Amino acid sequence: MRTDIRMFHLNKFALSTEADGQIPPSVLAAGVELAGHCASYDSNSTGYLLNPELAAKGVLFGSLDQLLREHGERIKPHLMTRCVDPAVDRFSALHAAFWSTGTLLYVPRGVVIQKPLHAMSAISDGGVDLGHTLVILEDGAEATLIAETASPHEQAAGLHCGAIELIVGNGAHLRYVNLQDWGHGVWHFAHQKALVGRDASLQWTIGALGARLAKVNQHVALVGEGATSQVNGAMFTEGKQHLSYHTLQHHRVPSCKSDFLYKAALQDQSRTVWRGMIKVDKEAQKTDGYQRNDNLLLSSKARADSIPGLEIEADDVRCTHGSTSGRVDEELIFYAQCRGFTRQEAIRMIVIGFFQQVFDRITIESVREALALAIARRVREYD
Amino acid sequence: MDEYHFAANVSDVPDGGQELIELEDRLVILFRRGDDFYCIDDVCTHDGGNLSEGECSGFVIACPRHGAEFDIRTGAVLCMPATQPTASHDVKVDGDKVFVKINEAEE
Repeated sequence: MRTDIRMFHLNKFALSTEADGQIPPSVLAAGVELAGHCASYDSNSTGYLLNPELAAKGVLFGSLDQLLREHGERIKPHLMTRCVDPAVDRFSALHAAFWSTGTLLYVPRGVVIQKPLHAMSAISDGGVDLGHTLVILEDGAEATLIAETASPHEQAAGLHCGAIELIVGNGAHLRYVNLQDWGHGVWHFAHQKALVGRDASLQWTIGALGARLAKVNQHVALVGEGATSQVNGAMFTEGKQHLSYHTLQHHRVPSCKSDFLYKAALQDQSRTVWRGMIKVDKEAQKTDGYQRNDNLLLSSKARADSIPGLEIEADDVRCTHGSTSGRVDEELIFYAQCRGFTRQEAIRMIVIGFFQQVFDRITIESVREALALAIARRVREYD
Repeated sequence: MDEYHFAANVSDVPDGGQELIELEDRLVILFRRGDDFYCIDDVCTHDGGNLSEGECSGFVIACPRHGAEFDIRTGAVLCMPATQPTASHDVKVDGDKVFVKINEAEE
């Protein structure tokens, strides 16, 4: 399915020079004890906090542009140099030229952060976010970053043209959660890439609920032997939303493991496109790669395109992929209704059950519960 | 969406020609055949191609991507690989002006 952006007119958008608005409450971090928090509104920082004990250990967390001014020598070598390539397309070039604010997390060698850090990016109705996320975990470091986006109301418009760079050093462990919950009028363009080093691990959870049109390129490169990555994606679309995700799990060295699971539920006339690729270089023997995309169509007018792919140059690998798309089974609904549930309750249960496989892989309880609640709230009744 | 919106002046669309128009947050193609005007979505229902970039012969327009064909009068699909009609919209001409009513129900 083509992703048609002819109705996107860049000249309708402009960066704001001030953060003039109320940041919506967090969906993911409610009730969670945090090690740090930062927020931006219309790509302007509204402040950031970090546990002083972590700051004393050399951890940097907060607005990328401010921290770049103060600690440029540590950050600049990693900023759009070896992770996200600004020359991929017009949106990556636009972002590289005009990025503003964003989030930085830098964890020095061997420092372990037990509590999660939280980053919120909000925009006004019609606002613009060009935030850049850069996470650098040096060798042996550990951290959890929960990032989310928000608009003032569900139908709000706007533009996000962003990038995420996750650099996970040797033996480091990163858990990264990213909830995209913009208003349904927001154009969302993003380039996201992770580099995972030797014996390091990355667990990357994505919730995609918002945006009018989203075009996301997500790339995980396993660059050190023994690296593992797990990506969990949960998408729920409604109205005329169109979410397009292109994922690439790139095995560049031997003995790495990648595991991608994306699930999408679609209602109304919404569309999703998932195109996944496992790429195994010639040197990357003993690779273990897995990718799967399941789609649940809740209306006859929704459409999900699923295109898994393999590109394998090594000869001693295990790579598997799968894709399923289908409607809700009427017999399951009938069974639930026989036991006193309404049709809507039954469909909601089935949808949550469909996503349970993704939720079970999310190790942060608040994220698991918040995602399930956000999705359940959106499910409507269908005949 | 129950209203007619101004789409073009009659003189903007030559006889046998077509015009791509942005209307109510969507792209539609306005065709003129003699004194008659027709309007369909600029979307091939196969994989979202832009019909306006395809060849049109008489009342049939072909998607430039995979060759699916649609009737410009009704949006009906005439040739695979598309299997679903594309939305067609009501058109009325008032003097020198052409108006279109977006037909949401046909999506």
